[in-house]
Amino acid sequence: MLRHFVAVMSLGLIPAFAQLALPPEGAAPAPTPRVASATLFDSVFRLEVATQTPDYRTPWNAGGFSGGNGTGFLIGPNQILTNAHVVANSRRILVTMRNSSRKLPATISHVAHDCDLALISLDDPAPLEGLIHLPIGGMPELDSEVRAIGYPVGGDRLSVTRGIVSRIDFRSYSHSRADSHLIIQVDAAINPGNSGGPAIQGDKVIGVAFQGLTQADNTGYIIPTPVIKRFLTDIEDGQYDKYVDLGIATFPIFNPAMRKALQLPDEDRGVLVTNVIEDGPCDGFIEKDDILLSIDGNAIDSAGNIKVDGETLVLHEIVERKFAGDTVKLEFIREQQTQATEITLKPLPGSPIFAAQYDERPQYVLYGGLVFQNLTLNSMSAHRLSDVTTRYLTSNYLNKAIFKERPEIIVLTRIESDALTSNMGVFEGSILNTINGESVRDLQHTYELLYDVKQPEFTILEFENDDRPLVIPSANIDAVNKRIMKTNNIPTTSYLGE
Amino acid sequence: MKTNTFILLSTLVLATGLSADSPEEHARAISEKTVAPVTIGKSNQAATTSTLDSFVRVNATIQTFNAGQPWQRNGPQRRSGLGTLISASEILTTAEMVANQTYLELENADSTQRVQAQVIAIDYKANLALLSPIKEAPFLKRKTPLQLGTPARIGDLIDIWQFENNGTTLKTVATIRAVDTSSTFIPGYSFLIYTLKGSMQSASSSFTLPATRDGKLIGVLTSYDSEDQISEVIAPEIVSTFLKDARDGNYEGFPTLGCATRRTEDEAFREYLQLSPRGGGLYVSRVRPGSPAAKADLRVGDVLLAIDRSNLDRRGFFEHPSYGPLPWTVLIRSDKMVGDSVTLRVLREGQLMELPITLEAPQAPLVPTHINDSPPPFLIKGGFVFQELSRSYLRAYGDKWATRAPLSLMYAMDNPDKYEEDRDSIVFLSRVLPNPVTIGYDSLNGIIINQVNGKSVRNITELANFLKEAPENGIHTIELDDTPGTVYLDATLSDQVDQQLLQRGLPALSRLPAEEPLPQQAATNNE
Repeated sequence: MLRHFVAVMSLGLIPAFAQLALPPEGAAPAPTPRVASATLFDSVFRLEVATQTPDYRTPWNAGGFSGGNGTGFLIGPNQILTNAHVVANSRRILVTMRNSSRKLPATISHVAHDCDLALISLDDPAPLEGLIHLPIGGMPELDSEVRAIGYPVGGDRLSVTRGIVSRIDFRSYSHSRADSHLIIQVDAAINPGNSGGPAIQGDKVIGVAFQGLTQADNTGYIIPTPVIKRFLTDIEDGQYDKYVDLGIATFPIFNPAMRKALQLPDEDRGVLVTNVIEDGPCDGFIEKDDILLSIDGNAIDSAGNIKVDGETLVLHEIVERKFAGDTVKLEFIREQQTQATEITLKPLPGSPIFAAQYDERPQYVLYGGLVFQNLTLNSMSAHRLSDVTTRYLTSNYLNKAIFKERPEIIVLTRIESDALTSNMGVFEGSILNTINGESVRDLQHTYELLYDVKQPEFTILEFENDDRPLVIPSANIDAVNKRIMKTNNIPTTSYLGE
Repeated sequence: MKTNTFILLSTLVLATGLSADSPEEHARAISEKTVAPVTIGKSNQAATTSTLDSFVRVNATIQTFNAGQPWQRNGPQRRSGLGTLISASEILTTAEMVANQTYLELENADSTQRVQAQVIAIDYKANLALLSPIKEAPFLKRKTPLQLGTPARIGDLIDIWQFENNGTTLKTVATIRAVDTSSTFIPGYSFLIYTLKGSMQSASSSFTLPATRDGKLIGVLTSYDSEDQISEVIAPEIVSTFLKDARDGNYEGFPTLGCATRRTEDEAFREYLQLSPRGGGLYVSRVRPGSPAAKADLRVGDVLLAIDRSNLDRRGFFEHPSYGPLPWTVLIRSDKMVGDSVTLRVLREGQLMELPITLEAPQAPLVPTHINDSPPPFLIKGGFVFQELSRSYLRAYGDKWATRAPLSLMYAMDNPDKYEEDRDSIVFLSRVLPNPVTIGYDSLNGIIINQVNGKSVRNITELANFLKEAPENGIHTIELDDTPGTVYLDATLSDQVDQQLLQRGLPALSRLPAEEPLPQQAATNNE
């Protein structure tokens, strides 16, 4: 049940987002659309996105320029819904309408990487006049028919594929690599370029096409309307606040001896709280070893599931549909007493360690050839950090409250070549604990300890996973910095965010 | 260097490029890689000895234990190599040859006569074993024991001995190209070796081979790389220390200092440590509590400048009078024995000092680096399988064991200091054999045990004893170091389940460590 705490590496899932490709010659003419759907089709657009992907290996560099295309659709006045992964790291977005060759510039209004949705708007909304706003429907029935509309690979013009709802499940969203939400699996063909396109039932949107499965056939995934509606509600106040979490880990109470030891009746009820994240929404209200009985009045079974409208859902789905600041009622047993409490929801700390970052410039601090970065999913994968210490710190970051002492985990990711650093290579990838005896909290603090404080003759750095200190004579540090910045084309000694 | 170790290692200790799992596969792999039969050519003229008659075949049946199901052994494998008669009843071979053997025999060259043998002394880290026949054997009596040779020099010619299938003795002459240290069996423990250059033939019994010079035994060949025609031979210093120790009836093993060191090539670091720009020295990065180094007051942060009169350079090398530069560990782990003393010259905060140290046998570490010949202890209770953590257990996760083995166990192995208090070993729940008692717990594995019924668990014997006592309200409470925190076991039901497991073919519900270690086993340890 740690699903909400840990990074889910969904290797098999690929965002259905086409990389930039030249249009094939001699594309077939578009088939005559059915009259009834003509206006609906007109509200589905092709998105062409130029991207600049940050480079976490050399964080001072501009990163890689690339691009791709996807789909978006009109859901309100100058409101075009698409996937976050279509517009992630974008530098320019161009929208092409059906039967038109004009490329209309657009801008992101809101983006939610945790549920892979984004809302964009045209810089000049005039061409959208007269187009219908696709209405957002409800949850479709299993085995009911859906159509996926979009601009996937294989041609330039609008594509429609048809299939049925194969499965409704709670699954990983590959874009952030950390989040799981409700999904709908369909057997309609969903291919690169379909991303951000609507899945339609009747004349209502029942989802947004967003990812597929590499090792299986006819498994397309769409984001269902509860997730879409949550996103649209969240941004009503002008900003996106992210998903909230209870911040607890639970364990099923199937075992008869366990039920007996916990003095629970022999029935299918209740889950054991095995961890409460410090400073999380439940901290101070729920304790380890409490037994959760119900959430917002819904009885929790011994596997941690609840029944809502006849559907079995995991208990976290109650929280899924709520927002920061909302409350949730919990009923639980502590020391044989049934109690109730109401907690106020908020997001969990530390998401960059678990969730991939987009639209962010990587931060770093350079000191005499040593490059420090905060540990994020991006920096970890760029520098291939997979040693036992790093994995232990990240996997226990929340449940052992490592975040309290280390809001950021600082890694010596690179050592640039210089006479000073020529024998320091073994430290690459080490986790920084202290600078001159003081524990480092985050990258900003690292910078301050190195640059804002008068350095002793030797700056002494100690590491979590190395048993000898790294020592830098501080006398000539400016000269060393200058030399290294010139050789490696590093513009500044640090980037610590806007 | 890519080395094809001749001996068929179990998958647990396979440290070579080969991934052979069965003797057949291994033989194939060797023959594919080996260059066609040798013409000894030029070096033939330099051959120094006529045929020696001091060698026997050593045949071993090897059965390792199954890490995941420690109550059973893996399938038997046959291993065959050569041993050298060094007295009327002593045969020297490698530890690798006989580790985890369940049957051992000596055989003459043409395979017509055999006698069962036993291990008298074995050192897994130095990779040497001393055998003796369990009864008199006429074919052994006809052989001439070999004397031990003196240390060789780089450039010397060495004879490597093999048996052909038809019983012919085969000799290959190779040249000592370098002297170095290497771990020939247990990873992480390097000992003095000779690196030989010479093309060898893939004959039968072409591993664990005697190496002689001028008709005297100087070492045992442990590996041969057919691509580079390089072989490694355990040096005579190691052989003679091993024999001296083994022959006094109480094998203690090679001594240790009990400290870890780091190189000091980093100029900034040298300046900080007040080391001269041209000198050497090793930074002491860890001192194991209770070790000889700790008793002699060696401290973290000291710089080790010399051992006895040998100066250490900044990489930790000293100048050996005949071999040239060698790693400093040779000064401790070569001709020194437990009880011998050395003097360390140390720089502490700019002050020179001399620390006399009496060397000791290595302490048993919290997580043993290797387990050979002693079956892994285990305890089954209600379908829960408990074991003691060892590196061998983690390595059984295969090639990518460092990432595939449970993270918390890997972390405990790397950070024993965080677990050492209150523990002699790390007891963990290795798996659950699904049964009605374990419903809801079936998927638990790789979780360290902290307490049982409120009592801290020092080792698996204690765990077994705690679980024998009747718990309050009939349910054992087992505290884990990880999710789900606590598991519960119904005492009565789990006993019933255990009886069913026995009926289903499990040979026993526990195997607890013997009070006294078997005499032939060297203690497992860390440097």
